[in-house]
Amino acid sequence: MIGAIIIGDETAAAEDTQSASRAGLCRRSWATVEALGKAPIARLAESLKTQLCDAVSVIVNDPPDGQDVRTTQTASVADLAAARFAEYKGDGFETVLVVRCGAYVELDAAEMLSFHGEQGSMVTRAFADDGPIDLWMVDPSVWPERIPLMAALLCTRPAIYRSKGYVNQLRNAHDFRRLVLDSFYSRCGLRPHGSEIKPRIWNGDGAQIDRSARVVAPAFIGRNVHISSECLITRGSNVESNSRVDFGTVVEDSSILPDSYVGIGLDLSHSIVDGQNLLNLQHNVNLEITDPVVMRKNTVSGGDRKSLASLESRQMALSSTE
Amino acid sequence: MLTSGPIVVMQVPEILNVKEVHNFMEELGPLLESNRPRVVLDCSQVRSMESAGVEMLLRCLEEVLKRDGDLKLASLSPEAEVILELMRVARVFETFQTCEDAVRSFNAIPADAVPQDTPWYANVFNELGVLKQAS
Repeated sequence: MIGAIIIGDETAAAEDTQSASRAGLCRRSWATVEALGKAPIARLAESLKTQLCDAVSVIVNDPPDGQDVRTTQTASVADLAAARFAEYKGDGFETVLVVRCGAYVELDAAEMLSFHGEQGSMVTRAFADDGPIDLWMVDPSVWPERIPLMAALLCTRPAIYRSKGYVNQLRNAHDFRRLVLDSFYSRCGLRPHGSEIKPRIWNGDGAQIDRSARVVAPAFIGRNVHISSECLITRGSNVESNSRVDFGTVVEDSSILPDSYVGIGLDLSHSIVDGQNLLNLQHNVNLEITDPVVMRKNTVSGGDRKSLASLESRQMALSSTE
Repeated sequence: MLTSGPIVVMQVPEILNVKEVHNFMEELGPLLESNRPRVVLDCSQVRSMESAGVEMLLRCLEEVLKRDGDLKLASLSPEAEVILELMRVARVFETFQTCEDAVRSFNAIPADAVPQDTPWYANVFNELGVLKQAS
């Protein structure tokens, strides 16, 4: 049996919420942010489960948007991961894939498994062209007891597996935007989660686009998004679930993260918006917009929330484990 | 004859919310009512600006233009630049890298230095005439 443990970003977990809020979008763990309808961490978990893993555990502090996963507020992420690893060992799993999620990786898990078998090494680590990926294949049967899992993985000399698939390290907001554009232009295997209503324009369920609004390809309008009249969404922009773009606003080469409201008559370009946080990638400026007329967290009405909840339960392709 | 007063340079506060706009306008308001007001707003300290702040800038510009003056923005912080672009007003204002550049721009071309009797396109017609003759 083969198991997988996907660990969320530990550095983000260590920060207190106040400083994280001050830092805004600069310090987000991008793997847990919804990108074209689904967070990269959730996509990786799904891909591992369909490829070869019998069980996949996702352990995060900041739950990925729209996914049901194991979350922790008290125990450290690393401790939970170590405990899960011990469970896998106890259950007789032959191989465990440990992923410290930060990057979006298109991995040929079967090929890596056969490489790991050929090498006969206790640990095999995946490498991309631009350096190591935090992805290891471990044999739990030979793994020494009482050694912290993550520390040991980082210290152990592994067999090196060169991943041939697409890798985006998702180190910063620029990488996140690159992932969105790479998907739009089919430079990676990530596909927008929705229906392609026109060439390279995807709509999520319940998306409402006013007749007078224009959406220019490539673009993604997520689940339950509302695009008001006279808006223009263009140059590789994505508006993620439950967001609203109000009258006459132009969104160009930008990402609007879930549950965000973008006000009337704005020119949003080369930016990422998350509620009231705005990160302009051209000027490298991170702003907290205090004026709710301009930008804010989008609130959902009771009815909408109910329909969203039912939608989420239907779309939930991945449970926390097994 | 029209006369103009000195060029006023003012520092815009770090946070331009409703409260700060009120305080700032108490200081700036009387200056805008002078004859041909010439104002430079130093935006180097701006870190955050609400829609009230943008509205104030537009109102100030409207006032000075009404009185045949001008208002220019200088040393825009990246934050101010992003907000003005976001709110689609960046092109409404004349902006300068430094306050000195903005002040200098008021005196760049004195009105009496420009000849009033010949139109600006007169030279173009002359050159066309020369070309015609040559051909």
